[in-house]
Amino acid sequence: MNQVRKKKRRLKKKYLYILIGLIIVSISITIWLAIRDDGAPNDAIKSAREALAEAKQLNASIYAADLFAEAEQLYDSAMVNWSRENERFFLFRNYDRTRSFAQKAKGKAKESSTVSKERASSTQDRVETMLADLKNKLDVYERLFKDMPLSNRELDMHNRGKMLTSEARIAYESQRYPEAESKAKKAVELVTASNLQAGQKLKEYFQHYPKWSSLADQAIKASKGGNRVILVDKLAHKLMVYKSGVMTHSFDAEFGKNWMGDKLRRGDKATPEGIYKITARKDRATKYYKALLINYPNDEDRARFARLKRSGELSSRTDIGNLIEIHGMGGKGVDWTDGCVALRNSDMDVLFSLVRTDTRVYIIGSRVPLSEICGDISF
Amino acid sequence: MKNKIILAIAVLGIAVLFTSCAKPPQAEIDAANAAIQEAKTVGADLYVPADFAALTDSMNAINAAVEEQKSKMFPSYGKVKEKLAVVSQMAVDTKAKSESRKVEIQNEITQLTTEVTTLMEENKTLVTKAPKGKEGAAAIEAIKSDLALIEASVAEVATLQANGDLIGADDKIKAAKEKATSINTELKDVIEKAKGKKK
Repeated sequence: MNQVRKKKRRLKKKYLYILIGLIIVSISITIWLAIRDDGAPNDAIKSAREALAEAKQLNASIYAADLFAEAEQLYDSAMVNWSRENERFFLFRNYDRTRSFAQKAKGKAKESSTVSKERASSTQDRVETMLADLKNKLDVYERLFKDMPLSNRELDMHNRGKMLTSEARIAYESQRYPEAESKAKKAVELVTASNLQAGQKLKEYFQHYPKWSSLADQAIKASKGGNRVILVDKLAHKLMVYKSGVMTHSFDAEFGKNWMGDKLRRGDKATPEGIYKITARKDRATKYYKALLINYPNDEDRARFARLKRSGELSSRTDIGNLIEIHGMGGKGVDWTDGCVALRNSDMDVLFSLVRTDTRVYIIGSRVPLSEICGDISF
Repeated sequence: MKNKIILAIAVLGIAVLFTSCAKPPQAEIDAANAAIQEAKTVGADLYVPADFAALTDSMNAINAAVEEQKSKMFPSYGKVKEKLAVVSQMAVDTKAKSESRKVEIQNEITQLTTEVTTLMEENKTLVTKAPKGKEGAAAIEAIKSDLALIEASVAEVATLQANGDLIGADDKIKAAKEKATSINTELKDVIEKAKGKKK
């Protein structure tokens, strides 16, 4: 009996030591688990998150959208993987994949930052170039085409292009470069198309330049005997007086709305081109302050009119027109006459005192060749 | 008796070893996410992008902190909860800031639209005052297409506003104002020149 008790006590003692041993082991494991922090992928996730934040700040979501989206996706995968591992029993957790995703996310985010920086800078440069190009094109329009009789379509394209240029500039100033680029692109399309069409019209008009050049030479030659001669340059919007081969006066002039081209018929609002002479001086008998009537249509005009009628290019009922004058009431800044040449009243006073009946009037498209007017300008 | 107590402590120790007590503050996380979503709904990502980016970055950091605690044997979410409270408040502030910025832009658009409308009315009156007859007709005709373009632009501004594109509407109305002002100057110039001729 005593032996059995002794045996039982020994067994109990044995169990007790095992239990104490277990407690010591479990407490040790607990302490180890509590103090260790190298298991979780905290640093890798933090690095990836910081790289993403930096990329976002550099507008990678705009300039390197694909790379940035990929980086975000990899970061999300890292987080999902981390969460999944945390659900597992602690001894079976493995954060290697989480770390791998996080490292990849960081790499992609860094790449998207680099690409974004480059693209943002190049987009800014491109917009700057486009805005400068637009400014040049709009300046060319103001200088060369503004006073030209353009079609409504050309005017509409130009105006819409100009509005979009303003919008692009506003977006650029707000550093919204992709938006500015998109608007500037549309503006370039419109302004370029409008300038090209106007430029083409100008080129076609200048096919007559050899004739104008010859008429200008004749005008200067005709003035060499001491007679005063009037030379009208339609493109320059100038009326000049020559005497003894020298230009003595130059006045701003306005013409008919469709001044580009020769006058063909009544009501075409074109100012005739050719050699004319003053046939009457109207001091009072005009509603345009003072007027100098010229002999439009001359023989050449009549011959051409007849030819055009015969060929059917002009209707048989069309009239050639008349009463083309150099008169006052100008200075309005637009071409508004029915085909006459309008000067400011003060200029008209001067001209009236300089010329007399029979003074020759040479009306041409331009004294200067197109190459000289445009220089190296591209429309 | 002594053995029973030791046994109970041992069982408790092992139980503590294999279980964790604290749970993530899911309700607070959900509330913060909802607040961020609300801020986004009012366009915070468009109208106050820097604030919204800071907000989402903070939330990402919190999500990482939650996982970090989950990885631990004895997670503690005290600090996470504090941060969540801060982020929730940030989301509310960002939403308010976004709404306030939207109101600012709306007011600017309204102000500019009024100015453009006034300029357009003035321009239309100036057109009637512009020189009559053939000498004025050419200038007026040249200006007409510009006026029509501005009116079309103002109509587009209203559409953009209705679609919630306030930034686009703001750009457009600013450009329209520039154009309306230049036409106003041009018209006044034409009228002034015409007046000069009458003297």
